[in-house]
Amino acid sequence: MTQANSPINLDQAKAILKTEDGPIDSLRRITRLARKELRESLRDRRTLATLIMMPLIVYPLLGSVVQKFAISRIDTHSPAANLFVDTRLIQEFGGLFPSPSKVQEANEGEPENQPASEPTISTNGSSATDESATRQDLIGDLTRQILAGQSPLNSAEAAVKLEAHPLDDVVDPEEFVREGRVADVILRLRPPSKDQEASERPLQEIQILCRSNDPFSARAAAEVERRVREFRDGAVRSYLASTPAGANSMPLVTRIALEPSGPKESPLSAFVPLMLVLMTMTGAVYPAIDLTAGERERGTLEMLIAAPVSRRSLLTAKFVAVFTVAVLTALVNLTAMILTLYGTGFDRVLLGEGASVGMFLQILTLLVVFASFFSAVLLCITSFARSFREAQAWLIPLMLVSLAPGILSLMPGVRLTVGLSLVPLVNIVLLGKELFQGIASIPLFVLTLTATVIYAVFALRIAAQVFGSDTVLFGSHASIGSMTKRPTELADVVPMKLGVGLLAVLVPAFIVLAGLRSHLVAPENLSGQLVLSGVLTIALFAVFPIAVTLWSRIRFASTFAVRPFKAIALLGSLLMGATLWALTYEVLLFGKGTLGWTQLLSNPKLQELAQRLLSDTPLLLRLLTLAVIPAVCEELFFRGFLMNALGNNSKAWRMPLFVSTFLFAAFHVIVDQTLTFERFPATFFLGLVLGGIRLCTGSILPGIAMHALSNGLLLSLMDLEPLLSAIGLNLDKEGESHLPKWFLLSAFLTALIGAGFVWMGRQADPKVAGSNNSHPGS
Amino acid sequence: MVDPSTNQPPRAAVDVQDLVKRFTSVNGDVHAVNGVSLQVSSGEVFGLLGANGAGKTTTLRMILGLLKPTSGKAMIAGYDVASNPEDVKRNVALVSASAGLYQWLTPRELMLYFADLYSVPADAAAARVEMLAELFDLKGFIDRQCAGMSTGQQQRVNLARSLMHDPPVVLMDEPTRGLDIVGSKRIFDFTSHLKDIGKAVIFCTHRLEEAQRLCTRFGLMFRGKLQLEGSFSDLQKSTGRDSITDMFLDLMEKEKQFDLAQRVTSKTGSSAGKT
Repeated sequence: MTQANSPINLDQAKAILKTEDGPIDSLRRITRLARKELRESLRDRRTLATLIMMPLIVYPLLGSVVQKFAISRIDTHSPAANLFVDTRLIQEFGGLFPSPSKVQEANEGEPENQPASEPTISTNGSSATDESATRQDLIGDLTRQILAGQSPLNSAEAAVKLEAHPLDDVVDPEEFVREGRVADVILRLRPPSKDQEASERPLQEIQILCRSNDPFSARAAAEVERRVREFRDGAVRSYLASTPAGANSMPLVTRIALEPSGPKESPLSAFVPLMLVLMTMTGAVYPAIDLTAGERERGTLEMLIAAPVSRRSLLTAKFVAVFTVAVLTALVNLTAMILTLYGTGFDRVLLGEGASVGMFLQILTLLVVFASFFSAVLLCITSFARSFREAQAWLIPLMLVSLAPGILSLMPGVRLTVGLSLVPLVNIVLLGKELFQGIASIPLFVLTLTATVIYAVFALRIAAQVFGSDTVLFGSHASIGSMTKRPTELADVVPMKLGVGLLAVLVPAFIVLAGLRSHLVAPENLSGQLVLSGVLTIALFAVFPIAVTLWSRIRFASTFAVRPFKAIALLGSLLMGATLWALTYEVLLFGKGTLGWTQLLSNPKLQELAQRLLSDTPLLLRLLTLAVIPAVCEELFFRGFLMNALGNNSKAWRMPLFVSTFLFAAFHVIVDQTLTFERFPATFFLGLVLGGIRLCTGSILPGIAMHALSNGLLLSLMDLEPLLSAIGLNLDKEGESHLPKWFLLSAFLTALIGAGFVWMGRQADPKVAGSNNSHPGS
Repeated sequence: MVDPSTNQPPRAAVDVQDLVKRFTSVNGDVHAVNGVSLQVSSGEVFGLLGANGAGKTTTLRMILGLLKPTSGKAMIAGYDVASNPEDVKRNVALVSASAGLYQWLTPRELMLYFADLYSVPADAAAARVEMLAELFDLKGFIDRQCAGMSTGQQQRVNLARSLMHDPPVVLMDEPTRGLDIVGSKRIFDFTSHLKDIGKAVIFCTHRLEEAQRLCTRFGLMFRGKLQLEGSFSDLQKSTGRDSITDMFLDLMEKEKQFDLAQRVTSKTGSSAGKT
């Protein structure tokens, strides 16, 4: 420490450290920061392992396994099932069928009845020593006759090879099959029961014994049964031929398997995109953890936060790095996969005419967009974590959640619709599948990509808020133990942790309890069901959050934004409520027209339910349970509690508004027993308007009025039908027809006027000043 | 040298006025820092002393703008933390024993990265790396990845890194925690060096003897308050004690008595006194 600086001069230092403020400068800076993150990630051997080694090993391995499996399925040398034929059956065989000589003749006269490959007949050498030659012949003859079934109809249906052996009656045949060491199937004549007299002729019944839990034995038995039945049918037909009725008096039964027209859906075509998506994920996981939770663990985070860099640029740099690694992983994976497909010859099965450069690029685009989305989501989650381990623990649920939509898209026949193209991950996997099949539509391709990019931006913004925020950096002051302690001071703000926790409890509770409804009250009792769901809504969305916030000593009025409002705002809200139903209805119709909407309104069961709702329940009860109660409770929860918990800063109104609206709409999609993504746009639209009113007026009360009125009008549409048709509005029950343009236009204008009134009645939240200079014009 | 914002005569490089930090946790309120004021000028080493949990680190974090104070004001090099947090950060170096390195980067890359974070122009940064490498004797391993370096080497890299932007103020948060004699010695030398080149240093520690050797002025922190403040001779005069440790023990004893008295009054007094 010999060299000394000259004494510092503050102004000079400031001049040296002048900020770079231009957008190009900040872009350059982010690039430089990202270079460091990338350098750090790519020098790490663990990243390289997932990036390069995994795909290079996994795909060829998987490819060869699938290949082996596929080949073994059409392998003609598969093991034969051991069929033991009861000797009694052989002896009495002649008597079983009427006029066996004719049967013989008929059989020889029908060459197409002969199998493509002769069933093998072999006899067990050791047990055959005491068999007489005639018996051998008899068995051979019999099996040839009985077992000479038709060859399988198409190659996909696995043929079961059978190997016939004689069965002596000394053995307990049932135990012989059960133990399963030698016999797979036994073909026998039904044994005479004990009380049967010896002289009596036994019932003519051929029995096939197999093991119930063994698919191989069961398949062999099914094959034996098919052939025996075929043989019997042949016997019956030839018998009939000898009668005046003739053979053709009984219809033939044949099965013809046809090649499907349209896209050939190979199970691989969905599996491959899912695989690519999962592998892209694995590539991004390690760098994401390393660059966020890892900073904390190494003790470098505090230094970063102490530097004059916004967290957003830090996180953007990290995002660029994780994204790059994810894209590299995607590229390596895609290349390895396509090479494997070529190598194993699966490309023809999977891709029809084979791969093209265009398709490669399309799938790569898809993966790049997905990589950006997933990198952002990963950073968002790992930013919460305080250590590597914690980050990994957080990611396991994410992986599980990601698997579910992936598996959904594996189901054959699922096509990408507008609704599905808005669902993260599902959209990517489905689009990938359709790209492989060459049936993807361009608008949906664009929509999927756009939606995914928007989600990515959202996730990144949340991540930037969380990363290094001081509760995380300096250890949260509330532990699990302190959560159960009651605070002593009154507060106005719902901690975000409480909000998220409550939501995490509420939604599953609602789904479970809603499922229990039909156990409590008979599903036929619609009025009872309505009352029950009303009670459930009140309990979960009003009573529960109110109780929790009161217990946490957070003021009711500020938590739920139950505040006085200006009269004009109420008037505006009512105007909007009176007209917006028409617009909502149109959005629903829009959904129906384009979203591949088949279930909701045209589903006969739902239609019947709607019909019964109309006829079996009084209008007042419907209005109360489906309009008023949901309006009050949902406003209290989503626009009151949740918006408060999501952001208390009136300047940053966008995040609480959009996130709470998203959750509101998502909730309505989830609570339906069938996932009706088609409802999403309409609910989102309504939620946005309601949130806007809440922000403008500082109160949820006008929103409640609007919500109730809007819901109520939609509900009573059917009751109002005569009135509506009197003014020229025809709504048929399938909800097919659009409202007239003049009506829509006037509804829209009235809604605008209502919005204007709301705007005039705007007022700031009393607790937070300055909220009136920034809020959306709904 | 005139303060840019107020046109007032020059003030201390660090000027803290009545800082308060109250954590509103679920368990009720905790006053981590309760009215701390201090000034540190260039060329001074201010020892901020106190037991663990006295509020030293919280004070530092507020000075640096990492934590928002409940009330009070902190100025660094004439910039207010509340209104100009970025300028404050640009003028401060934070040295902490718990700071780590990016193991896959070389010391040079690491230092240039921090130069980027602090917006140091590229040519100035390169020159600075050379100068600091000389100063901390990093030449031998400056282009090797940090992963394989010894603890001492890592410590030197960390110190060099913290000075990349040549700030007028250095905050040292328990810089000797977990270090052996050699490591601690290096920190002492480093601190003296900072004093020599005219930096304003706040040295936070709970090791009282080492502070006694190193610092020009002291602040004894206890329960969020700066109970005693001044040069060593000032403190000797006002307390009549010869070592900082003794002063500190007196302080604790006094607080204990005070606590007892408080408890008695709060029991006899009205319960509605606090809300």
